[in-house]
Amino acid sequence: MPPKISRPWLVALAIVAIALPLIPYRFEVSAYVVQMFMQAVTYAIAVLGLVVVLGYTGQINLAQAAFFGLGAYGVALGTVTGGWSFWLSLAAGAAVATGAGLALGLTTIRLGGHYLAMITISFQQILDLVLVNWIEVTRGPDGVAGIPRPSLAGFELADDRAYLVFCAAVLYVVVFAVWWLPHTRLGRAMRSVRENELAAEVVGVHTLRTKVVAFSLSALLGAIGGGLYAGGFAYISPDNFNFARSVEFLTAVLLGGAQSPFGGVIGTLLIVQMPEWLKHLPESLRFIKDVYLAVYGIGVILIMVFLPEGIWGLIKAARARLARPADTTDTSGVAPLDFDVPGAAGGPVLRVKALSKHFGGLKAVDGIDIEVARGSVHALIGPNGSGKTTSLNVVSGIYRPTAGQVMLGEEDVSLLRPHQRAGRGMGRTFQNIRLFSTLSALENVMVGAQRDRNPIGRGNRALRARAMSALAFVGLADRAHVIVRNLPYGHQRLVEIARVLAGHPRLLLLDEPAAGLNQTEKMEFVDLLRRLRGHGLTIFLIDHDMGLVEKVSDRITVLNFGRKIAEGSPQEVLRNPDVIAAYLGTAGKVN
Amino acid sequence: MPRDPLPSFGTPRAPDSDPERKPSVEALTNNLQVIFQGLALGSIYALVALGFVLIIRATNVVNFAQGDFAMLGGYAMVLFFSALGWPYALALVAALVVMAIFGVLFNYGVYYPLRHRSFLPVLISTLGASIFLQNTVLAVFGPQPRPLEKTLPVDGINVGGVFLDSQYLVILAVTLLLVLGTYLFFEKTLLGKKLQATSQDKDMARLLGIPVALMISITFIYSAVLGGIAGVLVGPILFVSIGMGSIIALKAFAATIIGGFGDVTGAIVGGLLLGVIESLAAYHISVPYKDAYAFLALFLFLLVRPQGIFGEKVSEKA
Amino acid sequence: MALLELREVASAYGNVQALRGVSLRVEAGELVTLLGANGAGKSTTLKTISGLIAPVRGEVLFEGQPIHRLGPEAVARMGISHVPEGRRIFPGLTVRENILLGGSNRKGVTRRQLEAEADEKFQIFPEIRPFEHALGWTLSGGQQQMLAVARGLMARPKLLLLDEPSLGLAPLIVQNLFGAIRDIRARGTTILLVEQNANMALSVADRGYVLETGTLILEGSPRELLDNEEVRAAYLGGHHA
Repeated sequence: MPPKISRPWLVALAIVAIALPLIPYRFEVSAYVVQMFMQAVTYAIAVLGLVVVLGYTGQINLAQAAFFGLGAYGVALGTVTGGWSFWLSLAAGAAVATGAGLALGLTTIRLGGHYLAMITISFQQILDLVLVNWIEVTRGPDGVAGIPRPSLAGFELADDRAYLVFCAAVLYVVVFAVWWLPHTRLGRAMRSVRENELAAEVVGVHTLRTKVVAFSLSALLGAIGGGLYAGGFAYISPDNFNFARSVEFLTAVLLGGAQSPFGGVIGTLLIVQMPEWLKHLPESLRFIKDVYLAVYGIGVILIMVFLPEGIWGLIKAARARLARPADTTDTSGVAPLDFDVPGAAGGPVLRVKALSKHFGGLKAVDGIDIEVARGSVHALIGPNGSGKTTSLNVVSGIYRPTAGQVMLGEEDVSLLRPHQRAGRGMGRTFQNIRLFSTLSALENVMVGAQRDRNPIGRGNRALRARAMSALAFVGLADRAHVIVRNLPYGHQRLVEIARVLAGHPRLLLLDEPAAGLNQTEKMEFVDLLRRLRGHGLTIFLIDHDMGLVEKVSDRITVLNFGRKIAEGSPQEVLRNPDVIAAYLGTAGKVN
Repeated sequence: MPRDPLPSFGTPRAPDSDPERKPSVEALTNNLQVIFQGLALGSIYALVALGFVLIIRATNVVNFAQGDFAMLGGYAMVLFFSALGWPYALALVAALVVMAIFGVLFNYGVYYPLRHRSFLPVLISTLGASIFLQNTVLAVFGPQPRPLEKTLPVDGINVGGVFLDSQYLVILAVTLLLVLGTYLFFEKTLLGKKLQATSQDKDMARLLGIPVALMISITFIYSAVLGGIAGVLVGPILFVSIGMGSIIALKAFAATIIGGFGDVTGAIVGGLLLGVIESLAAYHISVPYKDAYAFLALFLFLLVRPQGIFGEKVSEKA
Repeated sequence: MALLELREVASAYGNVQALRGVSLRVEAGELVTLLGANGAGKSTTLKTISGLIAPVRGEVLFEGQPIHRLGPEAVARMGISHVPEGRRIFPGLTVRENILLGGSNRKGVTRRQLEAEADEKFQIFPEIRPFEHALGWTLSGGQQQMLAVARGLMARPKLLLLDEPSLGLAPLIVQNLFGAIRDIRARGTTILLVEQNANMALSVADRGYVLETGTLILEGSPRELLDNEEVRAAYLGGHHA
């Protein structure tokens, strides 16, 4: 649920929101000021697009001005050249922009980081060149003039003040939607991609689709802003939609705070208004204006160094300090965790057949066969470098096998992506704990519950209930709303387990689950594993603590140099001379 | 930010026309002319790309302000040579000293505070540096582009109907020398080896006692000077302007991706290739969209072969 | 005064408390080995000594001087050479160049001197001489390990830290490698050897320590540790319920 806003605040906010755009009706405000705010409002809508793609999803987009431009030119060319209505033109521009955003989002299938930055810049540059040079269509540097105002329900919005109210209304709708988004299924998926894309993928989030949607939304919002801008100012030219403008949008969202729509609005106001305010400085302080532009750049660096969450981040931090302590979570009425895995039949849950994984010349895994029986705890051990972690990564889908198969139940999953395997009931935890650090424990676990085909009801309520049950199972129901990076290490481990349990797994892959736990925590962990097995869960784990492995495992497979060297019950395996030699080594003849 | 009012960078100069010559020879000569110019422009891209790649290898930082190093170099020459009237050699040395100092400032002001953060804050930080540089220069020099006089005794030489502009020849020669010099430095000296070691495994270099912070400083200085030289070289051809760095940077970045991200040879080959592609496309297809070809080429590479010509495969995903 | 002394050192690696108060010493001229299962904290110990990790508690003293606040470059200059786990040779440099860079911690040494000393290293590790001008990444695991040790020796260290040199290497190669280690020790270099391969390590060591989840549980001569049930249990479990 989005954070509760107390009634008085809500009322105050509503009053201010409604009153602000109506001020010009009551008081004498120059046309210039009204237009300035029109510009700020339309820019803010575009900047909110960056909040979605960059702030929420963590993807860099240096082409927001291009999308802004597509919306603007859509309206301009549609109405002036094509004679269409404003709304149809806006829709057309938005459609083209969203399509472009979708295409850019698809490039993330292969590329991230710098490459993505470059692709968005390339798109921005190409569009800029087209706008300037395709004179037959876009009128080139001369721009397009005479863009008409729209009429809304028969009411012509010719008056600047009326148009401002209209734009403000659109902005408010967008702010509300963007504010609500993080608490939806999609929003949580976006944030998980930003925090830890690999973990998100493994836990069942369709990361590519999430990124594509993020880009599409960003483009859509950019286009809406641009379309409204064109309608407002009656004249547009390519100058307004270039790389410099994209950088300006980016600066605005970083300054204000990319994680929040309020930050986006604040940042836009500052970036747009600042040069204006500086114009009105008294003579003695006039030098600040000259220096401002230069300082602007340093400001960006300083924000990155000192204020990574922007101004809104500061405000939030201050509020957190002043706020009352968080309400204790109501843990009554939390249903016990349900472990039924529908469609369960006999036979091994996991089968690995002749599996190999080579990295160039290195044979990390060299033809292994393992069967994990239903309802058992099966450990994979071996000295450092024996191929255990690589095997687990192949089973969970992070690597493609060089040869061999991975069977989950009766299904061959060897070529499925990790989120698809999660959708079939394969859950996995990581050795170095991959939680979504800025999300709460509950939100982390809810992402786990979001995996495809999870047999629970649709809707946030069902997700929440499932997540609370999982947290209760590991004993952390009362810490549901704590941000996980503030939890102690042992509790973080438990949240990771709860996250995977929320997805109704039929196979649990645990990668060194006891790493970093002290003796007491390890004992508790052994208990937890036993309880899980008691509920019929199948567990496949890697660990180095043989005492623990011996206590919990039904069966152990030992690897060395990528091959299986022993398999059997703990008693058999841990006394096997080959296994002892593999671990302790042989003295041999030292020459 | 002011729009650059000048004719587009590197408009091919129409080659001398000789009515006695056969059309096919004429066509060949024209193409050679264009290729020659393309190589010269490509050399500028290559120099900037080289500096760019050196920083990436040493620090993993993608420096969006790299092109502005060239802009700074150009303006430094405008200051010392045009405005103050110093002799060319002295002005050049002064400009390079300014660039070296700037490299140090950039290292400590932009890279150092963010060296442990993820790539996004650093990238944005370099964008901020770019904005700062452009606006500072704007405040000092004003928005009008400044000319840098050609100081060469001859305009150019004529080889078989192909006119070789002397400034372009100088660009090619200097680039060749610098590439050679860089190669010798990195391959033959111990300091060069230490710089390479720092790029390949920073922590291991520290364990051996290599002063990694100093190595990074040196890399930034070297990179800044390379960029500055590019600006000085290209100044006489196209005026020195605030925005010249941005477009060069983007093309240099494109060149490194085409050549193979992070690969030194790739940066140079990519730069030259890009210059030639751009010039040929402008000549044969259309001039106004000249800049687009670079980005189209980049787009294609990113989709089809993101590792570029010399790069290793981008890491696999399941 | 011991050459190296750790006093109640506690270190973290990531969020994990890897060392929980470790005290040990290494006397000049000794070969001491630090054993334990994977995850016991052996590598963290070496990283704390060489300065890659700063301890949260405790002290590291080298020749009586506290070094635990120094960075790796400074520690290297004091005469401690750390050959880390996974070999970490520079893949884009040749074998010879890798070795030469091993001398980077020394002041006032000429290139010519370094080249001469590099030649000496090929006598200790003749197996890599044919690859003198080959790039690092082309070498096999065993060859890379020998190169890493040769490079470590170029520092003329007073203390050589070896982290799991046998990792991933075939038994025969491990034998050769340990022969060389014994040789190095015979020439007078003090060595702290971290190993998973307990038997191999104890066959060359003067003394040994055993780590288990961040605490030292055993100390003794090879004779005392070899065939000690406790050692086996530290690796393979089976002691205390």
